[in-house]
Amino acid sequence: MTVAYKHIEVSPVAGALGAEVAGVDLTESLGNEVFSELHDAFMEHLVLFFRGQDITPAQHIAFARRFGEIDPNPFVRPLELETLPDHPEVLNVVKEASDRSMNFGGLWHHDVSHRERPNLGSVLLAREAPAAGGDTMWANQYLAYNTLSDGLKKTLGGMKAVHSTIRDLNDDQLAANYGVKKESVNFASVRRAEDKSEKVEHVHPVIRTHPETGRKCLFVNRSFTQRFDGWTREESLPLLDYLWAHGARPEFTVRWRWQAGDAALWDNRCVLHNAINDYAGQRRVMNRVAIHGDRPY
Amino acid sequence: MTVLDIRPVAGAIGAEIAGLDLSADLDGETVESLRVAFRDHLVLFIRDQDLSPARHSAFAALFGEVDREPFVYPLVMPHAEGHPEVLRVVKEAGDGGINFGGLWHYDVTYRERPHLASVIHAREVPPAGGDTMWANQYLAYETLSEGMKALLGRLRAIHSNALTYGGDEARYAPTSKAKTGERAAPPTERIETAHPVLRSHPESGRKALFVNQVFTERFEGMTLEESKPLLDFLWDHAVRPEFTCRWHWRAGDVAVWDNRCTQHFALNDYYGRRREVHRVAIHGERPV
Repeated sequence: MTVAYKHIEVSPVAGALGAEVAGVDLTESLGNEVFSELHDAFMEHLVLFFRGQDITPAQHIAFARRFGEIDPNPFVRPLELETLPDHPEVLNVVKEASDRSMNFGGLWHHDVSHRERPNLGSVLLAREAPAAGGDTMWANQYLAYNTLSDGLKKTLGGMKAVHSTIRDLNDDQLAANYGVKKESVNFASVRRAEDKSEKVEHVHPVIRTHPETGRKCLFVNRSFTQRFDGWTREESLPLLDYLWAHGARPEFTVRWRWQAGDAALWDNRCVLHNAINDYAGQRRVMNRVAIHGDRPY
Repeated sequence: MTVLDIRPVAGAIGAEIAGLDLSADLDGETVESLRVAFRDHLVLFIRDQDLSPARHSAFAALFGEVDREPFVYPLVMPHAEGHPEVLRVVKEAGDGGINFGGLWHYDVTYRERPHLASVIHAREVPPAGGDTMWANQYLAYETLSEGMKALLGRLRAIHSNALTYGGDEARYAPTSKAKTGERAAPPTERIETAHPVLRSHPESGRKALFVNQVFTERFEGMTLEESKPLLDFLWDHAVRPEFTCRWHWRAGDVAVWDNRCTQHFALNDYYGRRREVHRVAIHGERPV
């Protein structure tokens, strides 16, 4: 199904979310009418894909900037992640062909939900992609909320959850959380920061209202959500386990197979994502720019 | 041997075979190459095939003995005219609402001899939605700890048609709700079979994890409650995204999967759209 827009062409790629956008050249600055249509498509489809975008880091940043303020340091302090030399706000996510790890610690997550203001979204650009493997999946959390029973919706509606960095994750999971190889994480430093209670921790509503659409969505994730506010972790885990599994049901998801030059924009307020590490022995290079969000309510 | 044009579609499982025409008989060397590709990639995809039910059935027969039962209990399904072995899996555009009851599964594992493979031919598919996912169960086995491998190596599991976990919604998720009254087969006795939790693939010799959430009830000799914690872990582990591929169907696509070492999941995310695929199943061996 292709929805008719005046300036762009929008084709859904799955039933639940995700659409490919044609008719946009990200090397050029977008006019207000084109941007307005893109924004509408973004609100409707939650993840937008753009093929064949051979853009510079500056153009990458400029495109992301249209959707909000750039987050120059989207990661937890102790993590030492590679950025582009002249563009510290562009994360350079590289997995080398020599890295044979079959690291299956990838988790479904919202980015940086341990912060007071988690990211609004990100723009991810494929520079070099394996011939097969290295796909990314996203899951629609409006649907996750809508398909809960009325009883559970009501129960969760009054609850908050504690989101925090890195606790209870092993090294594989920690690295996978950030889509990076283990070698680029200074684990000693990370763990030391934890010991000193320097971790970043914030409380967010379990059901959040999207500030632009006004729709409700489920806002917990396996990487950062530790427990319900006022509950112990042991008390929280059974219900969290259910919500984590429910939030990533296949029917709520889309899966994208990358080609070099593909760009993806996702709404981190209402989608989870999971980077699939199934391409041992192949090189993969992705650039990523993150956009500041607001405080969930 | 014929060199096939093989294009993997994900890291763990699945490959597209280009340049084949299944409407005519394949020569012996091509068939042999296909079998090797099937063994290596577990799921094969062949695009743009204009197949009659007879040709569909003939292609499937290359992989083994075709299952000619008119239905797969507990489903009653329509079939192609004159071809009871070619099941028509239909979901009508009018079938409403969000139905997210789907579960990952192997087909008919309550049988003593579960299917070896199935061959799907897509006839009518939505432009977006209705994808199918498969998960590599060799990898599911190989990534377990040594302790867990040893433990599971000693266990058998009870599989039954009682739909203990998913219920009807799971089994029927990708099929039409239009004929609710006719979907279930006439009441039949409970069928129950024990299979090893780890099975050895008769051709590759590799071990695969062989439990699934639709038909596996419990470990042999244990209660449901005792079995559940470990089964819960295995169900999650078996379908980690890193073990999977996902196929977006176009009309004319053919897919054949190995039901001895892969689980699959048909996504029901295409509300208001009609989907019809045809399916032929191949009889398998008793799992060992």
